[in-house]
Amino acid sequence: MANVEYRSVGKNFGTVRVLNELSLDIGEGEFVVLLGSSGCGKSTLLRMTAGLETISSGEIAIDGKVVNGVHPRDRNIAMVFQNYALYPTMKVRENIAFSLEVAGKSRDEVNAKVEEAARVLSLTDYLDRKPSELSGGQRQRVAMGRAMVRDAKVFLFDEPLSNLDAKLRAHMRVEIRQLHDRLKATTIYVTHDQIEAMTMADKIVLMQGGGIVQVGTPDDLYDRPATRYVAEFIGSPQINCQEGEIVSDGADVHFKNSEVSLPLPAGYAAHGGTKVTCGIRPNDVQLSEEGAIVGRLKIAEKTGADKQMHLDVNGSEFVAVTPRSTEGVPGDDMRFAVDPGKVHIFDQSSGHRITTTLSGA
Amino acid sequence: MRVGVLSWDRPWIWLLPLTAMLVAFTIMPLLYNIWLSFHEYHTFSRELRWVGGANWAQLVADARMWEALGITLFYFAVTLTVQVILGMAIALLLDDDEIGFGFLRTLLTLTLVVPPAIAGMMFLLIEDPEFGVLTYVLEQLGLLDKTTPILATASTAIWGVMLVDIWQWTPFMVLIFLAGLRSLPPEPYEAAMLDGASAFTVFRRITLPLMQKVIAVAVLIRGIDIFRMFDYVFVMTSGGPGTSTYTLSLYSWQQTFSFIKWGYGATLSLFTLLIILIVANLFIWVAKVRW
Repeated sequence: MANVEYRSVGKNFGTVRVLNELSLDIGEGEFVVLLGSSGCGKSTLLRMTAGLETISSGEIAIDGKVVNGVHPRDRNIAMVFQNYALYPTMKVRENIAFSLEVAGKSRDEVNAKVEEAARVLSLTDYLDRKPSELSGGQRQRVAMGRAMVRDAKVFLFDEPLSNLDAKLRAHMRVEIRQLHDRLKATTIYVTHDQIEAMTMADKIVLMQGGGIVQVGTPDDLYDRPATRYVAEFIGSPQINCQEGEIVSDGADVHFKNSEVSLPLPAGYAAHGGTKVTCGIRPNDVQLSEEGAIVGRLKIAEKTGADKQMHLDVNGSEFVAVTPRSTEGVPGDDMRFAVDPGKVHIFDQSSGHRITTTLSGA
Repeated sequence: MRVGVLSWDRPWIWLLPLTAMLVAFTIMPLLYNIWLSFHEYHTFSRELRWVGGANWAQLVADARMWEALGITLFYFAVTLTVQVILGMAIALLLDDDEIGFGFLRTLLTLTLVVPPAIAGMMFLLIEDPEFGVLTYVLEQLGLLDKTTPILATASTAIWGVMLVDIWQWTPFMVLIFLAGLRSLPPEPYEAAMLDGASAFTVFRRITLPLMQKVIAVAVLIRGIDIFRMFDYVFVMTSGGPGTSTYTLSLYSWQQTFSFIKWGYGATLSLFTLLIILIVANLFIWVAKVRW
């Protein structure tokens, strides 16, 4: 177990700057997810941690020791690759045992560890097969097994579930998280899937364009997104965003545009006249007869557990997540309300969250 | 698609040109060779006479043939081993994307464009006892003295010939190995690095198994070539001193074209073919090469 520190880390590929002065602390035993869309630099950061990419500027320290010039084999890091990177000519058993044999462990110890890993990952029946004779999910588990038997300081995962089908992915999410809870090893996990990030992470690091946008717990990112980008990236279905202005006339503060007018907490009064984006999570759109806003139902999507109602309010769309029992056919007019305390307000020009002076929300 | 004789589902007509060439230039000469091995040419009467299995009996009892086979196998084993090991070592060194390595890889083709007979002539000069560069260097190093010229000493002549083969054909191995190395996936190497493997372990446990088929094909091609090597000994030693560099191919040539024993020469060449066929197929079976 170890902590990992990134100190103003930068990376260039030729003249292209892919990571920009990035600083981050990862504590001992933490499960940190690097989240972002493709090309944001998250995988590059992971590979730099492992030593598979050079560090153009800044420092990476593991356990307080700067590792910039340390060879990957001397960093004591285990990694699960996106395409698994299994040794194609070795059987599953040899794949998992490789690092132990290299470390000169006794045959008994190697066998015991391999058998144990195979048991945990349900690979016992496949130990004598070659990777080419396995399915995607089985290969993924072999890659996990290879990391598991290591007594590594840090575990790195590079989108390990992206090639699996939805059911297996959900299963492996739980497996990986349980594995972490058992080993208590410092883990850095790269993904572009916000659900993976939300379900597994102690701490999410949301990246964009080679930099960090927000670091926090899954709840932090969901409840208090630092920018409009974060708000839109986290949460499914995606947050409803409306462009408009804060209008303050004495006691009443409203978000207004040509289509809607929503009451806001009084704390926003100080920002009267500011051009803003107003974000409302679909779960915070409350359908009710007393609601002040009227929308015409365009389509009701059934997801099984609930319904996603797509409402047209004077030409702009709102999505509301409602219980499955909610009635409504396309063309119906439905009324809804929004709790002012659950509205997210972002500055239109900078994209940054505007906090109220009173509540600090 | 045309219907009729030339349609695609009747392949025979399309195979005809190739089949005709194979029959005319490969099958016929082979059958004639077999027929010839049961005959012998009589110089006085100037005709081929049926001798039955006499040529084959002579072959089994021919001490010179067995000596030539031994020399050929020794030459084959040493040159092939050196070419594989040296070729792999150089290929590993050149498997890099740094500036200049592409140029170095191109340079490797240079030895391959030299005709083998010319390469033999070059090394005849290089190993010359009076003014050869190699002789000079070995003398300075104290490894050789003037009384034992490389190519004129029975114990060293074969090594002098092997040197040309190794010089000329190691780059061929390098090129084939490089093509294999550069097509290997990078991921297992990254995984092995993180697993803590040393460069040697990575080579032994990952590179070698992945390269197995490439190595097998290179060994097969070069092995057959080396087994029927003729140019170098013909140009450099003519089999001498004594019979110390008489390979099987040179001996067959001598019997056929110097002694005009068409029948025995044909028997020797068939015997060579048989050995190559057996060894090559054994190798294909052992190395599990699939085409």
